[in-house]
Amino acid sequence: MIVANTASAPRHSAATRTSVSVENLDFCYGTAKVLKKINLEIPANQVTALIGPSGCGKSTLLRCINRMNDEIPGAHVSAGRISLNGEDINGPEVDVVKLRSEVGMVFQKSNVFPRSIFENVAYGMQVRGEKNKAVIEQRVEEALRQAALWDEVKDRLHESGFGLSGGQQQRLCIARAIAVKPNIVLMDEPCSALDPIATLKVEELIWDLRSQYTFIIVTHSMQQASRISDHTAFFYLGEVIEFDQTGKMFTNPREKRTEEYISGRFG
Amino acid sequence: MNGPHIFRDFDIAIRNLKDEVLLMASLTRQNLERATRSLLERDIELSRVVIGDDSEVDDLEIRVDQRGMEILVRHHPVASDLRLVISSMKISTCLERISDHAVNIAKRSKKICKGPELTDVALVEPLYVMADNLLRDAMIAFTDHNIKLAEGLKARDKELDRLHKSLIASLSHRLESSAGMAESLLHLIFVIRSLERVGDLAVNIGEDAVFLGSALDVRHLADKVTAELPSEPVE
Repeated sequence: MIVANTASAPRHSAATRTSVSVENLDFCYGTAKVLKKINLEIPANQVTALIGPSGCGKSTLLRCINRMNDEIPGAHVSAGRISLNGEDINGPEVDVVKLRSEVGMVFQKSNVFPRSIFENVAYGMQVRGEKNKAVIEQRVEEALRQAALWDEVKDRLHESGFGLSGGQQQRLCIARAIAVKPNIVLMDEPCSALDPIATLKVEELIWDLRSQYTFIIVTHSMQQASRISDHTAFFYLGEVIEFDQTGKMFTNPREKRTEEYISGRFG
Repeated sequence: MNGPHIFRDFDIAIRNLKDEVLLMASLTRQNLERATRSLLERDIELSRVVIGDDSEVDDLEIRVDQRGMEILVRHHPVASDLRLVISSMKISTCLERISDHAVNIAKRSKKICKGPELTDVALVEPLYVMADNLLRDAMIAFTDHNIKLAEGLKARDKELDRLHKSLIASLSHRLESSAGMAESLLHLIFVIRSLERVGDLAVNIGEDAVFLGSALDVRHLADKVTAELPSEPVE
């Protein structure tokens, strides 16, 4: 079950397993508190969209989930915790590399490595020490098939990833993220640089893969959030204003600020 | 009430949609009033006006649908905006049907007026008043987002149904004993039937007003509750 700050928690069935649990999380850049008492329980094998105006903290929360903010000087969790399967991800014993193989990430701009298509997808497995060539080849094909890219690239696996179109490059990044079989895939505006058809292909991919991975996606597109997510959390000024099932959120939001934001009245 | 949209053309589109629905409701009520008056006052000319004016309501129904579709395509409304577009399009369909019933009444009125004077037409007036009040209040519920007023329409329609039933029984009885007036009495029965349908359609508009105000779908709720009631224990 996902619990937001407000009394707006959606009701999941008892069978729904929590993937990421955020409890009373405060996060600061130096002395500036940018996330305030965030409480979210994100269900496994579903798509959760984080929406809100720029600077509201949604990308910061996303980057907290795989500790990407560790690289930023002065950035720190000042209270609360984030747990994956009950384990605090900021605990002293946590191996960040291992955490990031559990929690993949796809960025706004496709960050294809200057290597071949094959090597891009195989990269994560090789970093983890996988040496068996047959295992790597099999998993690369699986990941490319899951990313609906196999048929388009199977004859040029050893050509540069830069030769692909923008939409294909983004799907290659998704293939790379899922090649290491993470539980969670974080996506930070994954379609903002794509044309409508490439966007739909990525959305279709997310929709198809959600039974295998938990997706948490930051998006500025209300249509995208309403199309592909099961649940939506609305952030404003570092707080979760409302969290609910997407259908409910976009037809009858509980909070006036949510209604005003999603219907284009402020933001 | 919500504030204005950042993209002002969205507000203009919403306002135009609402205005068309309200104009449609106003013309529909006028048609219904004139159709009933043509019957009560034996005014054939007035019934012709009603029949002619119905096309305006038909045109408005098409315009409301066009405006609604344009808003859906251009502005992708959500939340209360989405509910307003959906309820406006549904209400315009109800209003068009009510105006069709006004035309039916006007056509029957013409036929009744061509025959000998029929004192029984006076029976229609209280039924018309109830139906028109329901329609008026359904539209107020829609414009003011008055859920309470909308929710009360169903019970009031039951009163209308009771009166309708008793009038049909009374006119059926009269049919047996007034051989010369049989045709006019049959026309009058159809008029009464039309007014009863107007009440039903006003209730439908009220249900759309509830949806607009609260996002609750209350259609067929009474039927569902009745179906879910436990059956009587067998002795």
